[in-house]
Amino acid sequence: MTLKEFLKSKTFICIVVLLVIALVCGGLLAIMNDLLAVTEEEKMQRAIKKIYGGNVDYEEIAVAEEYKTNEFGSVDGVYAFKDGNYLIKTTGGKGFQGGTVTLWIVAEYKDGAFEGFKSVAVDSYEKQTLMSSFDDNFTGVYSSDRSDRGVKEGKNFGLQNSDNEIGNIVSGATRTSNAFNNAVNAALYYIRNVLEGGK
Amino acid sequence: MNKAKFKSITSNGILKNNPTLRLVLGTCPTLALTASAFNAVGMGVAIIFILTLSNTIISLLRKIIPDEVRIPAYVMIIATLVTIVRMFLEKFIPTLYEAFGVFLPLIVVNCVILARAESFASKNPVLDSALDGFSTGIGCAIAMGIIGIIREILGSGSFFGIKLYDFRIEFFTSPAGAFFVYGLTIAAFNATYKAVENYIHKKNFALQLKELTKEAK
Repeated sequence: MTLKEFLKSKTFICIVVLLVIALVCGGLLAIMNDLLAVTEEEKMQRAIKKIYGGNVDYEEIAVAEEYKTNEFGSVDGVYAFKDGNYLIKTTGGKGFQGGTVTLWIVAEYKDGAFEGFKSVAVDSYEKQTLMSSFDDNFTGVYSSDRSDRGVKEGKNFGLQNSDNEIGNIVSGATRTSNAFNNAVNAALYYIRNVLEGGK
Repeated sequence: MNKAKFKSITSNGILKNNPTLRLVLGTCPTLALTASAFNAVGMGVAIIFILTLSNTIISLLRKIIPDEVRIPAYVMIIATLVTIVRMFLEKFIPTLYEAFGVFLPLIVVNCVILARAESFASKNPVLDSALDGFSTGIGCAIAMGIIGIIREILGSGSFFGIKLYDFRIEFFTSPAGAFFVYGLTIAAFNATYKAVENYIHKKNFALQLKELTKEAK
């Protein structure tokens, strides 16, 4: 087949048509992405609204480099609220297919002492296909009285109840449950080692 | 487009070939997102938007896209539209965006949209295709809305989030409840459709008989 024949062939036309459609669609998406992108500030306000039911004044706390990651995941942001509580954004690893779950966690403080978690909300996730199974019953465990007691005893969250762990699992979605627990444990690590000064 | 064609396309999409209640297509989002009426109607509106635009664009390009690569070309167009809807919802209606979860990107492979692209938009003019997409989307949205309203009233005791009473039967918010309500809605819709169709048929037959007897006399 000569070049001239190839340029007139059905194969070439198919390739060109698909490429043009891909380019136009890609260009359109790039423009829309610029127009409709959700900024970090908007995400932050949404997270606060979701947890507090309204906008609250806060101050961002710089996370020291050595505390940005720990054995459970990463601490992506820490914010101090005017009411004494802290909002911590963490990402827990070792989820389904090695993916992650990113959470917004409110650490409740009374008279300067850590009382437990007030609430936990999902920010985003990667590779987790069963996120719809994780309802308020699952996230509610982190802020339950049982968890508050366990956390004060120095326990972390895990898949099963044990001497060292407070169990929280969705049956059939073990890996994603693991990522959730790791995200909350990452916050616990930060609270114990930084906010509580290593207590 | 004449009046008869307009009537035929719209009644086809909404009633005769209703994708949800007659053809039983797009069952996944119908079952998963109808626990609340707001989510069901939201998904219906998203489908109307995507279906109308995808049918219009595919019809516009029907003479350019070679037959051999039509499916990947349709999927690219539909995927772009779905991504734009996803971005819009994430920016302006985050609660709905979160409620849709994985079912929003899955619209790309929704058989209702691909079926209309393949069977109608690729063979018909732009205006007809746009109307077909719109009416099919409306058919889908109405069906999802009805199922959503029934499930929310019985399962949560509320109507579009407004609390009606404290009594609730949790079964209706579960997947089994979704199948149950979906099945009953299909049965009710088809029984009503058949009854109306029989009535019209009998009426036309009586008219024809009257005319024939008139002619015979």
